[in-house]
Amino acid sequence: MSQESMKLAAGIDIGTECVKAVVVGDDGRVRGRAVAPTRGYFQTCAHEALASACEDAQTDPAALAGIGTTGFAMECVANASVRVGDSSCHALGAFQQVAEPMTLVDIGGRDPHVIWVDDLGRRTDARGIRRCALGVGSFLMFTARHLDVPPSRLQELAAAAERAVPVSSYCSVFSAGEVLERLREGATREEIALGCIQSIAERIVEIGGFRDPLYVCGGVVDYFPGVLTALQSLAGVPVRVVPDPIYTAAVGAALMSLRQGEVS
Amino acid sequence: MTTFGSTAALRATMDAYFRDVGAAAEQHLAPVAWCTSVGPAELLRALGFRVFFPENHAAMMGAARTANRYMPLAHAHGYSQEICSYLTSDIGAYLAGESPMQAYGLSGTPRADVLVFNTNQCRDVRDWFEWYGRRWNVPVVGMRSPRAIETVRDDDVDAIARQIEALVPALEAVAGTRLDAGRLEHAVRASRECSDLWEACLRTAARRPAPLNFFDATIHMGPAVVLRGADEAVTYYRTLLAELEGRAAARSAAVEGEAFRLYWDGMPIWGRLRALSSLFAEFRTAVVASTYCNSWIFSALDPADPVRSMARSSLELFIVRSEEAKEDYIARMLDLYHADGIVFHDCRTCPNNTNTRYGMPRRLGERLGIPTLVLDGDVNDLRCVSDEQMRTNVEGFIEQIADARPAAGSAAS
Repeated sequence: MSQESMKLAAGIDIGTECVKAVVVGDDGRVRGRAVAPTRGYFQTCAHEALASACEDAQTDPAALAGIGTTGFAMECVANASVRVGDSSCHALGAFQQVAEPMTLVDIGGRDPHVIWVDDLGRRTDARGIRRCALGVGSFLMFTARHLDVPPSRLQELAAAAERAVPVSSYCSVFSAGEVLERLREGATREEIALGCIQSIAERIVEIGGFRDPLYVCGGVVDYFPGVLTALQSLAGVPVRVVPDPIYTAAVGAALMSLRQGEVS
Repeated sequence: MTTFGSTAALRATMDAYFRDVGAAAEQHLAPVAWCTSVGPAELLRALGFRVFFPENHAAMMGAARTANRYMPLAHAHGYSQEICSYLTSDIGAYLAGESPMQAYGLSGTPRADVLVFNTNQCRDVRDWFEWYGRRWNVPVVGMRSPRAIETVRDDDVDAIARQIEALVPALEAVAGTRLDAGRLEHAVRASRECSDLWEACLRTAARRPAPLNFFDATIHMGPAVVLRGADEAVTYYRTLLAELEGRAAARSAAVEGEAFRLYWDGMPIWGRLRALSSLFAEFRTAVVASTYCNSWIFSALDPADPVRSMARSSLELFIVRSEEAKEDYIARMLDLYHADGIVFHDCRTCPNNTNTRYGMPRRLGERLGIPTLVLDGDVNDLRCVSDEQMRTNVEGFIEQIADARPAAGSAAS
């Protein structure tokens, strides 16, 4: 099928840390993608990310059959054709990529979820983290600030550690205080970086219910692959990553939009 | 929230009740007793007390979202943020010299001549009442209930009945009168009638579409809470029931286009009642029944055997039952109300009214093959509530139910 005759839809996932946009064809393939940091003015961020994804897909936004939105500020996209909750989008987006029922762990900027996905790409159940342990992605950003490195270097720092210093608090805010305490006690920045990354994995394992096959998606594994390594050592089943994990929900939103087009 | 014609009668009933209790306290027209929500209200009414329910008082502050202003005052007084936020709201409001009662012309919360607790709710009610007992130098008496009861046995009923009887001399001394058996029988009869009518009101939501939902019921249950054992509650529920039956017959829905039906377990989140009502309505979902509103149904009450039937009612209460008994009860309610799933509220400061912490949602989900959702929150303390997390979780949960039943249509907005 030529690009001209293919129906294209966009998906935009407006998260607390990043806005992700994709353009997906009606064959399910991702044609363009873009990510932009979330700033206060969500609509502008979404517009920027969508424009970049369309550019990447070499398509005109006006040619899109629809726009699906999901995530923290999905209501802010005025011209969306469909808005769907992020766990359903994660489920469908991941299923599109891996084509099998799965236990899916979404680790984004806000609240991680374990989502069970059936053989049609539907969420059959989901469990989140307790309220006072929300904001794991943001927590890693705070940690980077306390350790005086850009967030992109936190992983590099952790990779240089010989051992992890445990960071055990449930609460992202308390954990930040714990980071400072460990520094005062003489722990190295590398050890703390690794400890913080491992603490994310520990909180997720506490949600429980992992069954093989287990996949992970979300921006945290893209930016902080140490979380994946820690999860692999704790999960008790093999852990795989959905391709392009940061875009999973955006892909799901685009597919929802295409599906809506089929029934309308 | 649904608009009911009965709301005017509700307001008039509650208004008259608050003014009556207030006048009794401030003008010394009658003795005033504070009573926990499922304390021996019928006994107190039979002795001529005006009965005040501080849990209702605290809920009013939660619903008005003034509670968060008061709780820090109680925390500064040595009462933890981790204990009942009803307690800390109420004591904090007292320390601030403020009360929702001021809207009814009272100077503040009505002063008690005696405080009567029943620990079937929790230990916090007793600690709460003892704070006032020390403050006002008035007696604090009560019943100490067993908990986690599998089956209500006669020996448990006997023990509680003896505790109720043991309260009588102390209460008579405060009331300045002897207990009259006829008046107690009348109060228990009125209480039972109120209970039956309230149950019938709630039961109308078993119809499709439901003519009222959980959020409406938390408002309309006011008379069942504060006027249990009084004729005014009976009068009100006759009015409400007639309206609800009319709405059910006319298929007037509490939630426009009702597509999904849920059961709510746990306390309301008073400060988010309207927001949650709107959120569920947005997804065409009616929360048709709840453990909370059902907890004011006392079918064991029997005017022919007042004390023992009060004792049995207090022990049959959901909150004092074992996990297994609770699960059986919820399973029956899901069937009765044709619910598609359960929302459990994990109420941060009310562990006794929270049923999520010992595995119940997963056990029930597996046993009944239905989806369950746990919402973190609190009855009054909005610092424990994340609106965004709540919205995301509700949204995903209803999408999951919709996806499993494609004929019902998409929940996507």
